[in-house]
Amino acid sequence: MTKVAIIAANGGLFDAYKVFNIATAAAASDAEVGIFFTFEGLNLIHNEANKNLPIPEGREHFQEGFQQANVPSIEELVTIAKDLDVKLIACQMTMDVMNLKKEDFIDGIEVGGTATFVEYAKDANISLTF
Amino acid sequence: MMEAAKVLDAKGLACPMPVVRTKKAMDELHSGEVLEVHVTDKGAMNDMPAWAKASGHELIEQTEDGAVQKFWIKKN
Repeated sequence: MTKVAIIAANGGLFDAYKVFNIATAAAASDAEVGIFFTFEGLNLIHNEANKNLPIPEGREHFQEGFQQANVPSIEELVTIAKDLDVKLIACQMTMDVMNLKKEDFIDGIEVGGTATFVEYAKDANISLTF
Repeated sequence: MMEAAKVLDAKGLACPMPVVRTKKAMDELHSGEVLEVHVTDKGAMNDMPAWAKASGHELIEQTEDGAVQKFWIKKN
């Protein structure tokens, strides 16, 4: 079985699409998928922040393109990811630094440290960082 | 044309939704049954064969009719 390990370390809208498109496509192709969210990447699973992720400055016109291309929303992709059993791990240390609690995040996440991710990723066929 | 147990209309959907919907539809079929998928996402031309290969199903036929691509995939 293909195993995919992803680190999400950035918190913009484009970052979110890169992470969740690959995660859901892989999970839909019967791969085991786990994502470790750290630093700004925590935005992608934050209850409030992930509803309004920033678009890079000067690229605001992409918003229209997303709609025209009928691209699913990040909330939709997160729901699909959970439905396909993608493991979502929030980085404990970054949460402490940013003073965030598990309740600040969407349901169904796990909280763990780097050792949790390393253990998960050690036999992954595909490792990606965004 | 191949007899399909189910037809999935995934037209107008962008990546990764065609493969996500295809996976969901395929989950409901029995082994040996054929799923017919209609897609307009241009990436699907390569994505659907890749999905079938990764998921262990057999892509039997693939056609292009204007903007609409059609795939017949047999469940393993």
